[in-house]
Amino acid sequence: MNTSFQLSYVFDFLFKLLGYVQITLFIVASSIVLGLVVGLVLALPRMYQVPLLKQLSAVFVSFFRGTPVLIQLFLIYFGVPELLKVVNIDVTKAPVLLFVILTYTLNSGAFLSEIIRGAVAAVDRGQVEAAYAVGMSKYQAFVRIMLPQALSVSIPIFANKVLANLKETSLAFTLGLMDINGKAQSLGSLTNHFVESYIALSALYFVMAILIEQLFLWWERRMHRHEQGYISPLQELKFSHTARRLRDQKEDALFNSTQGLS
Amino acid sequence: MTLLITAVSLIGGFIIGMIVALVRIYRVPFLRGLGAAYVTVIRGTPMLMHLFLIYFGLPVAIDSFCGFVGIHFSSTSIPILYFVFIAFSITAGAYSGEVIRSGILAVDRGQVEAAHSVGMSSVQTFRRIILPQALSVSLLNISSEVIGMLHGSTLAYTVSIREINAQANIVASSNWKFFEAYIAAALLFWGITLLIERVTAFLEKKMNTYNRGGVA
Amino acid sequence: MITIQSLTKSFGKQEVLKSIDLQVQKGEVVVILGPSGSGKTTLLRCLNFLERPDGGKVSIGDLQVNCKKPSKQEIYDLRKKTAMVFQHYNLFKHKTVLENVMEGLVIVQKQSKLKAREKSVQVLEKVGLAEKLNAYPSQLSGGQQQRVGIARALALEPEVILFDEPTSALDPELVGEVLSVIRKIAKEGITMIVVTHEMNFAMDVSNHVIFMDGGVIVEEGTPTEIFRTPKEERTRQFLKRITPELTYDI
Repeated sequence: MNTSFQLSYVFDFLFKLLGYVQITLFIVASSIVLGLVVGLVLALPRMYQVPLLKQLSAVFVSFFRGTPVLIQLFLIYFGVPELLKVVNIDVTKAPVLLFVILTYTLNSGAFLSEIIRGAVAAVDRGQVEAAYAVGMSKYQAFVRIMLPQALSVSIPIFANKVLANLKETSLAFTLGLMDINGKAQSLGSLTNHFVESYIALSALYFVMAILIEQLFLWWERRMHRHEQGYISPLQELKFSHTARRLRDQKEDALFNSTQGLS
Repeated sequence: MTLLITAVSLIGGFIIGMIVALVRIYRVPFLRGLGAAYVTVIRGTPMLMHLFLIYFGLPVAIDSFCGFVGIHFSSTSIPILYFVFIAFSITAGAYSGEVIRSGILAVDRGQVEAAHSVGMSSVQTFRRIILPQALSVSLLNISSEVIGMLHGSTLAYTVSIREINAQANIVASSNWKFFEAYIAAALLFWGITLLIERVTAFLEKKMNTYNRGGVA
Repeated sequence: MITIQSLTKSFGKQEVLKSIDLQVQKGEVVVILGPSGSGKTTLLRCLNFLERPDGGKVSIGDLQVNCKKPSKQEIYDLRKKTAMVFQHYNLFKHKTVLENVMEGLVIVQKQSKLKAREKSVQVLEKVGLAEKLNAYPSQLSGGQQQRVGIARALALEPEVILFDEPTSALDPELVGEVLSVIRKIAKEGITMIVVTHEMNFAMDVSNHVIFMDGGVIVEEGTPTEIFRTPKEERTRQFLKRITPELTYDI
């Protein structure tokens, strides 16, 4: 800990960490994709009011939203093997990555099911009525009218969950997983330059976050090209340029009005 | 301990966030850009990074500073808990800053003009008109931030603070009964989270009746 | 061609439609008048089952539906025979003008895209929007949006078009363009049922006026009968309130 700060280490570490980026991204991607499936399965009984399943899904969602991810990681990591032992399946040899992905999948599923429900509720009722009025069936109305609109409404919240997942993957190292964070730990203890390794790691997370966000912004703009003057809620609060301009206009208005007294 | 960490970091975060939000909304030159950068960087990196950077970085900074100035003070005498407080306050500050700012921006401009029209000063307008309305608008955001910080406090275990989660870890390691210990911890967090959600719903209901005014 | 027999509908305890009987001939333009809450919009929405009636019978053409327990198929069939123009247009937000009109033709009527496109362009020309084929609804004025709504209904070639207060959400200066489109298609002999507050329109265009109040049909007849010589006191009161300048012989 007495070693002094050396900038060269930061770059050196940054380079070494790059080799582990794909593991982190793999966890994020697989948990979101699988999470979408879980989320849809969880959302359907609540949207269509299926008794019993509806309550079960609500409890599941509440639990995964109501407890810290770190604890969920531990619970799954230690709990699933215990449970499977009862039915005589030995998973103690299974790779840690599997448990990590399972945890983030279930966690994402809980959050995504709420996002799906919210998005479907956000679509104007008149849209579905119009679909029925031209003679569409329930299924046609859902797939052709409801879903595309719900999807475009929910991109910003969806993007937030993806970004949250990226940041939360940093916890997987506690189970000993060698993702970018795990690597940063070992680099730190190897050289005793913890600060440099964490600066490099933070920079890496930051860049990934910005790239992912830009990707979603681009996608969202595509989905919303049918709406004039649409401002993404994502842009509203974050990085991009147009966003800053629009936000500035808003602030200008407030600023001017608070200054108006003089 | 969990609650203490959560509370301290939220209070610290609220103060930082308020400053950041005000600096940005009232467009203080330079500071405004700094505030924006702070929020962007913190929100773009995991909370765990803030903790690690403070925990490992701050002592180095303090020690070299003390060595430089010639004070005999070692960072090892600072309890770990303080680093946790600082790190989480920084995290919470960025999120609070955004919550407060979006809340303030959501307040109708007409409200400000009305306040000026009855002769309030800018400070009075902010305190009596903008802030209360901004808070009620941001209630849900505030609640999810509180829950986020509550859940985030578990990270403190990684630098070995004894809070609920670490407790569970210790109990677990001694009994080899990981599962049960973590279930207990999970239930506790779940309970507290549900409680926060209940309180939020209650406050929201109350505020809505208030918003609708005296007409039943 | 359209027959409604003792149609009833309640929302909770409130009886909105109390046994409605009504006959509409082919090619008729029917206008339903009445104060708000009289049940006129509900009646219209019961005809394509956007609102599910509690009882009674609806028949359109050769299709007869028992409202007490309609099958899914019957509801779809009914909807294929009708089309609706909404108060708030309800254009599909994520589709262009052309796609909005084509959607029903391609998806429901299973027409080929080429044929659907041809038909859609034709009706859009009729409502004067030939230049806006590729615009999205959000890029149009309210009046233009409603004309697309009319085109969407027209393209389906239904046996009857239901208009639910088609001009109530429009700015006053845009009402004219929409009414003139409706007038134009009324003259082509398409059966229409129109809920509206536009009295002049009702007088000029319709040939069958219905006055509803409190969930029942109070009075019906030709426009001259209703506007000039209303028999019922309630009709008289309503007309007086809505068109004070109107004079009628008692």
